[in-house]
Amino acid sequence: MSAATHVLEIDGLTLRLPRTARPVLDGVDLTVGASEIVALVGESGSGKSMTLRTALGLLPRQAAVGGSVRVAGEDVLTMTPARLRDLRAGTASMIFQDPRAAINPLRRLGDFLTESARINGGAGGERAVVRARHLLAAVGLTDRVLSQYPHELSGGMLQRIMIASALMNDPGLLLCDEPTTALDVTTQAEIVALLADLRNTFGTGMLFVTHDLGLAAAISDRVFVMYAGRIVEHGPAGSLFGAPRHPYTAALLDSTPRLEAPSERLAAIPGQPPDLRAPLSGCPFAARCAYAIERCRAERPEPENGVACHRAGELVLATVREGDRPRA
Amino acid sequence: MHEMTGGADPVLRVSGLRKTYGVVRAVDDVSFTLDKGRSLGVVGESGSGKTTTARIIVGLEHADTGQVAVAGRDRTESRRHGRAERLRRAREVQMVFQDPFLSLDPRIPVGTALRETLRLHFPRRDGAARVAELLDQVGLGERAAAALPRELSGGQRQRVAIARALAVEPAVLVLDEAVAALDVSVQAQILNLLADIREQTGIGYLFITHDLGVVRCVTDDVVVMWRGAIVERGPTERVLAAPEHPYTRLLLDSVPRPGWDPGRVAADRRALASTAAPSPSSPDHRKS
Amino acid sequence: MTAAALTRRPGLKHIRTRRNGLYLTCLAFVGLVVVVALIAPWLAPADPNATDLGAALTDPSPGHPLGADIAGRDTLSRLLLGSRTSLLGPLGIVAFSTVLGVVVGVTAGWRGGWIDTALSRSSELLLAFPGLLLAILFVALYGEGLLAPVVALSLAYLPFVSRLARSLTLSERQRPYLAAYRVQGFSGLSICVRHLIPNIAPVVLAQSTVNFGYALLDMAALSFLGLGVPPLTPDWGSMINAGQTALLQGKPLSAVLPCVLIVVTVVAFNVVGEHWADRVARRER
Repeated sequence: MSAATHVLEIDGLTLRLPRTARPVLDGVDLTVGASEIVALVGESGSGKSMTLRTALGLLPRQAAVGGSVRVAGEDVLTMTPARLRDLRAGTASMIFQDPRAAINPLRRLGDFLTESARINGGAGGERAVVRARHLLAAVGLTDRVLSQYPHELSGGMLQRIMIASALMNDPGLLLCDEPTTALDVTTQAEIVALLADLRNTFGTGMLFVTHDLGLAAAISDRVFVMYAGRIVEHGPAGSLFGAPRHPYTAALLDSTPRLEAPSERLAAIPGQPPDLRAPLSGCPFAARCAYAIERCRAERPEPENGVACHRAGELVLATVREGDRPRA
Repeated sequence: MHEMTGGADPVLRVSGLRKTYGVVRAVDDVSFTLDKGRSLGVVGESGSGKTTTARIIVGLEHADTGQVAVAGRDRTESRRHGRAERLRRAREVQMVFQDPFLSLDPRIPVGTALRETLRLHFPRRDGAARVAELLDQVGLGERAAAALPRELSGGQRQRVAIARALAVEPAVLVLDEAVAALDVSVQAQILNLLADIREQTGIGYLFITHDLGVVRCVTDDVVVMWRGAIVERGPTERVLAAPEHPYTRLLLDSVPRPGWDPGRVAADRRALASTAAPSPSSPDHRKS
Repeated sequence: MTAAALTRRPGLKHIRTRRNGLYLTCLAFVGLVVVVALIAPWLAPADPNATDLGAALTDPSPGHPLGADIAGRDTLSRLLLGSRTSLLGPLGIVAFSTVLGVVVGVTAGWRGGWIDTALSRSSELLLAFPGLLLAILFVALYGEGLLAPVVALSLAYLPFVSRLARSLTLSERQRPYLAAYRVQGFSGLSICVRHLIPNIAPVVLAQSTVNFGYALLDMAALSFLGLGVPPLTPDWGSMINAGQTALLQGKPLSAVLPCVLIVVTVVAFNVVGEHWADRVARRER
């Protein structure tokens, strides 16, 4: 596929930090198309937020990176600092988990919204204010908030402000780092509806990082599942959750407390995710996997047809949820 | 079958609890009972008053009015601060907090923390044996006794917090969003562990949470709180299958699932907010 | 896969090592001063109070490596032994003010209410009193000696520690681990002594190290004025006073050296204290 159809194209991204035994990111391949919502799902420490941040060139100190991260066709990893600033100001922007922590509490929200336009864009303050009013309407807020302070608004309203500010320079790519985790469940629905809406209006491609499988399934077109710095499975949301092909995806679905399933014991995944201080050989999930064979522990599975599992061809995981799961 | 307000021998009875902060009614006439060995969920969003209720029950806050009684004995009346009274109150109710990273003293190794509690409550018993027993009960090896909290994962720390609460041998355990900060796979482990502990010890759980999936997993009965008051109560199965109050329905609809329509949920939420506007006489009172 | 491995921001690493070098130098100097103070009697080449009018205001010579003052006393010996009184005073001040300040601050922060108001207001009252004036008042009331100014300056430094301890207590109180101990039935006193104070101690001690530098300065000022230190005891502050005439006569060494020592010691203590505070702050994050 050509770069033109993808707003974000991550290719073989590896990232290593000093004093760790294995790479934090280990060969991540991921794409986001224009006006597409892609979910990146994983547990804490899986590297999902780190992947998101590399798209803006936000790397930890002393990180050694390899591979390429192209935003709108241009490699972020080899950009000059000036070009990176332009990228962050225009082409790609990001919304964070906790809006209250990401907005200066002492400034009016109008200042917050137009600040980057006044500093970066030559467009001038007037046009920025017009754009801000337009976007506020799009996120369902009135102009009144322009003269208000962050403490006067609820968390959900602040997250809308964050979204409006992220869209100020009409980015092609919106990076969402667990944007609803800090919000109430009923507010989450509002924000998600808004994002889906904006994707249609503005044609923005979105990379949506979350640990909530249900949420990922509900909002995204495609899903990438991450474990220990690797993409273990990816595919269209419906088929990935309806018929998972990687044992980790299946186990994650099984261990989620859900409303529909019979209320019996949850099928918990035994053990802990692998530590960064211990080297990994073979499949990262092998130690916790009910289907692991000798080969899984020795040989690293390469992704094939969207799933990185040696036994992907022979396992039928879709039946797991009907009670056919192996018992420990 | 199970009547929520009139159990024969409730281990915990909360009646008429009220608490205001300035003009905000954080807890508004909250009453419920928890029978021995049962598990009661308290569901609501932030600001619903569920956490304030929990803190009043364990004694970290004082209610303006209302009573909390454990095994028929009132906890709210007594303002005595003697040592015996303190220990007795601790053995009535214990609590597990949300954030496993902040609920343990960072300087104290796990075994020492447990021994400290055991020495306070059971000075004549053999502490070392009991520490091993408690660690085993929550699925931690004896090696964990020497570990500092920062050397443990979030799930392991939450196991330590549970062990510490169990060390006191309380009648009721209050779990305040105790699995909310954990990853899904670890959360399932802890929920199963809590189910096992209840089976073994007959302890009563008060499960404070915003997650309906969790409620369904670990509770027998549930009360739904909204703006400081209880809007719906009943057996968990019934409430989740056939919710009566519009707010409960909204909560259920808010859980993301395939085919989920967030737009409709958002519209319902606005409708509910406007019907519950301060003056019921003006139904058109809407906020922008 | 392209092999475009690059290490980010090599520049900052450089700056950090240089700052570390400053810290290590200062730490070494502080250590040296303390060791010298401890073994000064064995190091001093001459009796610091032995007057040798023949040698008065001489330049450095094998007999007097750093010269002699106007009364012919050996400057090096006086500097060495002077370090004892010069450090002992501030040590007392810091010890007193830290212990009392932590007690006051933690009590105020933990109990809150009227106790907090009473303690906070009264320590603010102390803050309004210039420390040096208070010390002079105490010396006037209770006579010479190290004790009176040390007590006075301890009181003057107490609010700095107590305010810090109080605000640390208030923020530490928010942490659920302290609530957990309350729920477990531990008494407030035992929670404070066994859990709260050890957890806030690093920050308080870092502040106290910085205070040490200021206290040293204040004590030197007092002894320069001839207060506090008994007349015959060698002390850096009183050496500067005695050296004034020497300064006028063009032989500045006996006055300038104690000045330099005071300044360098104060700076060293400050750098060490700041570094500790930084390190604690980094660990907290």
